[in-house]
Amino acid sequence: MGFVVTLWNTAMYETMFMDECPEGPAPGNTEIWESTISPEQRRSYPERLITQLRHVNYRGPNGEDVCEQPTVVTDPPLKIVEGKYSYGIDLDGNTDGGATPKSCAHRTFTGLNGETGVDNQMYRLLGCVEAWRSYGHIENNANSHRRTSGLGMILLEISGVDDIRNDDEVSVTFYRGLGSFNLDSKNNVLPFGSYDIDAEDGAPRYNDTVGGRIEDGILKTHTADVHIPHYGNYQYIRQLIQDMQLHMDITPDDGRTGGMVYGYYGVDQLYSYVRGMLTSFPNRHKFSCPAIYVAAHELADGHPDPQTGECTTLSSAFKFEAVRAFINHPKGDELASGGTGPARVAASGP
Amino acid sequence: MKRHKSLHRGFLSALLAPLSALLLSACEPAEPVVSGTPPDISRLTEDQYRNVIGDVFGSAIVVGGRFDTPVRTHGLLAVGARNATVTSGSMRQYDEMARSIASQVLSEPNRRFLVPCALKPDMAFDETCATQLITDAGRLLFRRPLTDEEIKSRVTVMRDTAKALGHFEDGLHLGLTSLLVAPQFLFVTESVEPDPAAPGSVRLDGYSVASRLSFLLWNTVPDDALLTAAENGALHTQDGLTSQVTRMMASPRLETGVRAFFADMYEFDAFDFLEKDTVIYPAFGVAAAQDAQEQTLRTIVDHVINLDADYRDLFTTRKTFMTRTLGQVYRVQVEAPKGVWQPFEFEETDPRVGIQSQLGFLALHSHPGRSSPTLRGKAIRTTLLCQQVPDPPPDVDFTEFNDPNSPNKTARQRLTAHSTSPACAGCHRITDPIGLALETFDGAGQSRSAENGEVIDTSGSLDGIAFDDASGLGPALRDNPAATTCLVNRLYAYASGKSLSPRDPLMAYLEERFAAEGFRVKELLKRIATSDALYAVTAPDTAALETAAVSPAPF
Amino acid sequence: MAKSRTTPISRRRVLRGTLAGSAVTVALPFLDCMLNDSGTALASGAPLPVRFGTWFWGLGHTPNYALDDKAVTSPGLSFKGECEALKPYADLINFFAKFNLPLDGRSNYPHTSGWVASRTGVVPDKDDEIPGTTFDLLIADQIGNGTRLKTIDLSCTGNPNHMYSARGTFTKTSGEVLPTAFYQRLFGPDFVDPNKADFAPDPRIMARKSVLSAVTDERQRMMKDVGASDRAQLDEYFSSIRELENQLEVQLQKPAPNEACRIVPPPNDDGVLGDMSGVEIGRVEATHDAFAKILAMAVACNQTHVFNMVFSDSFSALRREGESLTHHSLSHEERVDPETGLQPQTSWFNTRSMEALARFIESFQSIREGDGTLLDNVLLLAASETNFARTHSIDGVPFMTVGRAGGRIKTGYYVAGNGDPATRIGLTAMQIMGVPIDSWGTRSLATSKTITDILA
Repeated sequence: MGFVVTLWNTAMYETMFMDECPEGPAPGNTEIWESTISPEQRRSYPERLITQLRHVNYRGPNGEDVCEQPTVVTDPPLKIVEGKYSYGIDLDGNTDGGATPKSCAHRTFTGLNGETGVDNQMYRLLGCVEAWRSYGHIENNANSHRRTSGLGMILLEISGVDDIRNDDEVSVTFYRGLGSFNLDSKNNVLPFGSYDIDAEDGAPRYNDTVGGRIEDGILKTHTADVHIPHYGNYQYIRQLIQDMQLHMDITPDDGRTGGMVYGYYGVDQLYSYVRGMLTSFPNRHKFSCPAIYVAAHELADGHPDPQTGECTTLSSAFKFEAVRAFINHPKGDELASGGTGPARVAASGP
Repeated sequence: MKRHKSLHRGFLSALLAPLSALLLSACEPAEPVVSGTPPDISRLTEDQYRNVIGDVFGSAIVVGGRFDTPVRTHGLLAVGARNATVTSGSMRQYDEMARSIASQVLSEPNRRFLVPCALKPDMAFDETCATQLITDAGRLLFRRPLTDEEIKSRVTVMRDTAKALGHFEDGLHLGLTSLLVAPQFLFVTESVEPDPAAPGSVRLDGYSVASRLSFLLWNTVPDDALLTAAENGALHTQDGLTSQVTRMMASPRLETGVRAFFADMYEFDAFDFLEKDTVIYPAFGVAAAQDAQEQTLRTIVDHVINLDADYRDLFTTRKTFMTRTLGQVYRVQVEAPKGVWQPFEFEETDPRVGIQSQLGFLALHSHPGRSSPTLRGKAIRTTLLCQQVPDPPPDVDFTEFNDPNSPNKTARQRLTAHSTSPACAGCHRITDPIGLALETFDGAGQSRSAENGEVIDTSGSLDGIAFDDASGLGPALRDNPAATTCLVNRLYAYASGKSLSPRDPLMAYLEERFAAEGFRVKELLKRIATSDALYAVTAPDTAALETAAVSPAPF
Repeated sequence: MAKSRTTPISRRRVLRGTLAGSAVTVALPFLDCMLNDSGTALASGAPLPVRFGTWFWGLGHTPNYALDDKAVTSPGLSFKGECEALKPYADLINFFAKFNLPLDGRSNYPHTSGWVASRTGVVPDKDDEIPGTTFDLLIADQIGNGTRLKTIDLSCTGNPNHMYSARGTFTKTSGEVLPTAFYQRLFGPDFVDPNKADFAPDPRIMARKSVLSAVTDERQRMMKDVGASDRAQLDEYFSSIRELENQLEVQLQKPAPNEACRIVPPPNDDGVLGDMSGVEIGRVEATHDAFAKILAMAVACNQTHVFNMVFSDSFSALRREGESLTHHSLSHEERVDPETGLQPQTSWFNTRSMEALARFIESFQSIREGDGTLLDNVLLLAASETNFARTHSIDGVPFMTVGRAGGRIKTGYYVAGNGDPATRIGLTAMQIMGVPIDSWGTRSLATSKTITDILA
């Protein structure tokens, strides 16, 4: 059976009055720049041009682009999440946040259902940066671009299913889709569409498979490193999620479902995405590249570098929505199992 | 029209008739003799108008405009078109379309193919060019050569216009417009001539025969070869007629003709105003509606033309065609790229069999936001079986149907409660047991197993044949004798404008032949197209002409 | 052919007009066709024309929820409930209650018999039969020939067949469905602004007219070879050709300056039709309101003197997005609230229909004409096809006149018909509009009783 992902967000636990960010939202690039110049200088710039000014980004001592070279300036430390609760799971198997062979010491959260030892340093890092919050531009822009363009489309194929409600051993493969979404008149993705796998010479460009099980209709994968395609803010990322686990309900009546992806996300992978955004973004959408860069390294809690001991990944949780879909395999791709092949398919569902 | 072998009241034919009947009876019964009716006139339907313009001027010409729909008569718009006229509002539309088509014909690059001379900005009036354009286009549009007078009057107006407006092109524009608003174009008028085989009788002239043939088989005007056959008298011989019918039935245009007939018989014009609530049925949008109609037409064309299969199997076939848009509504996998059709076959276990279980039928005969066993049952009775279903009484009380507190969760339960009233029960008995078998398909035709949480019971019956679900309804429909009688009646009415009564010997003959030839629509079509009955005419009743001609115009 | 009542255009004037700015010569046939039957529009200062229109909505009113009933004809209208929106216009309206449509034993074809009988004066024998000419066309034959368009017919449901005007079963009028297309037809390149100083007859229109004349010339020959019934079919076609010729003729004449004629900006089709949601009520309302604005201006500009506006069809398939039942289904299926006697959702649609009528009235009322408003010179007949949709009764079908018809009628009256045939209303409307007719209708619908209570 197949699914196509229709919405993908960094899972953020947001309260109405932003209690999780006691110091308020993190300041943006312009605010930081303004604090470094005199009021006279400030007045010399026309208001409407401020967000357009390239040199706001080029505020390094020698005119360097501070997103390209985040260490040339020292911005005020990033305001990070101080709240108690978060989405996520205990990824390192240690509830008190102390260092383990696979993690650096970090503060843990309590899960929304009271679970202890929830690891989500990605949330701690970005939860107070308004551009990443649910009303911010970054993720909404990425989702809306994906919705209209079909770029970075994530296809999930679950094979080896004997019993859709309870099955000890199934496997899940992640593909990138090709083409556009099938949308209804309100721009919602319709379930039960047929989607093609993006492939080159018959070989899917994305093809990572992970085992898993189904418990009472909920699919839970084993832990594995997988590549999941991503597109947003004009960039493709061949997104690697380490020690990934996926949880989702696969038995929705109307073909619409959702779930969570947990795992470690590389600091370099994240920063490469931040750096690659349009020059105007840090000003327009209020974030500081140097502050994020520094904080990301400080907060990294996974995959210690064997040489330096410094951690290189951030524990993370992603929330996604998906609809049932039929997955068309490229000609010659025999790797897939289950339900594909000739167009003769039962009308009861994918 | 009577051809050489045919039976006729004429002297020579009367002598030969017993002989030819004898010769034929060895293999098959002879066609019964029918008495003719006066020739008819028929307004071009929208499809015919569009086909003609495409065929005469090329498919690049855009026909933008609104057409009045004829009143459906004997179940067919094509029969209604024989009573259709041109109202003042639609005349404005025809005038606008004519001018727009003329402009397109005279614009680049079309003019290079369609205008018989090279147009230059300040050229003088070129009488040869103007005459030829009118003669050539006129012959196709009027389906016969124009008379000298028809050409001359037009060329005169064209010359005057070119002079007044300063451009030759303006004259050509006007000439083309004058053809396209002319009654000879907008109405298919038939003419009779003395029948040489039967002195004192008349027959359709060759051009009228050609038009009957081409609108029947192709739903468009005769092509050059057919007009030539009309011109040289070939259509008045059995061989000539048969060879034209054979040629025309081998043409890809036959598909256009077959589509037009079935779209008319199955009332697909209703698709123009089909509405589905996009909140309740998000997958059934405009694109799905278009594809649903096309799917059924493709299924029919493939079945009756390509496979030349038994008509009755259309109600049990699992073979169809699919697009990604439709696949989403049917919830099936489609490998063909977007917008491309792929052959598709529903699985043996799937209750969807026959065109009556395709979206086109199911969605068309439902409400915008829910299914309707009654509408579906009624449509099967009226369009597939040619039976009458009375309308509900004016003060029908249906409150039980919509009571939110009602214990009746499924349509069956609600209809049962409703039908306890004897006034309603009579009609619902003839529709609902058919439609209820299709209840596992919702108002958009999507599969479902429950309604309001209650499992749907799809048992039903058709004229004494009981079935458990839609897969049983198909065979019941297939084996219902009314299904083939209905087709024969409609196809003959489509061809001739006349609805045969069940007791008509011609009806019995056509039905018998249809059965003997394996219920193949192509054979039936060929038989009708080459029959004597189709062309039998009497002289028009022109007696009242004087009064009509002098009656004052209404203003 | 309409006879000119004013000074004919001189041959010299035509030549000058036609030649203005260009070196073309006018061929004689054009001149002749112009001179033979040309005339100008009413000169400035002449009496303003009185126009006639209909406004149709499906499924009527809920009894006792439209206005206070009275036993007898009397002044003063107290609208309420579903007609609340009409209150501001009460002194411009006459309400006709208790007029019946006796069927003389024939079937009541739901949603058809009502409009057919009240508009043609004849009860149909069959479901799809229209046994006569509807009165709007009888009025158009009387007053519609001097304008560019004899009638304007608008359907707000997206379906051109939702139109209640016909000359017979096979000659039903079809309506415009798209405001943008309607605007283009009216105020596009063929529109002649009456307030523009210069006017030159368009030689292209003369040319088009000559084409139609050539077609008309073929009438005799066509008629010769066809049978009687086919002749009627062709006759209607030739009448339509003549009407088109007549309209072109009007365009060749300089229109009288007209202060009330100010062109509104073109509409867009946002929010109106275009996809399958034709009868979703929001779209119908958007289409209606766009149409109303353009129509009011078209009437003010005397592009037509007769119009038909259909808000919802006689079956009223209006629906709300996300609801599975239409206005019509609700009328059969919704339970009556025992407290109020209302079917609440059905009534909601009735109310929305009357709100649309109120906006329609306002679009005419807001145009100044002469010393008053456009509505002073309009007779609008608003009507439905049933009384209470729940029972689909065609007795007491609601009718209203709106407007003062050039001072020919009194307004603000409640007129109780006490079971008289509803054809009295059609007869009176035709007489007000100058149709020379003293009786109308057949069998029990036959009447010669004008409703004198409203005559000024």
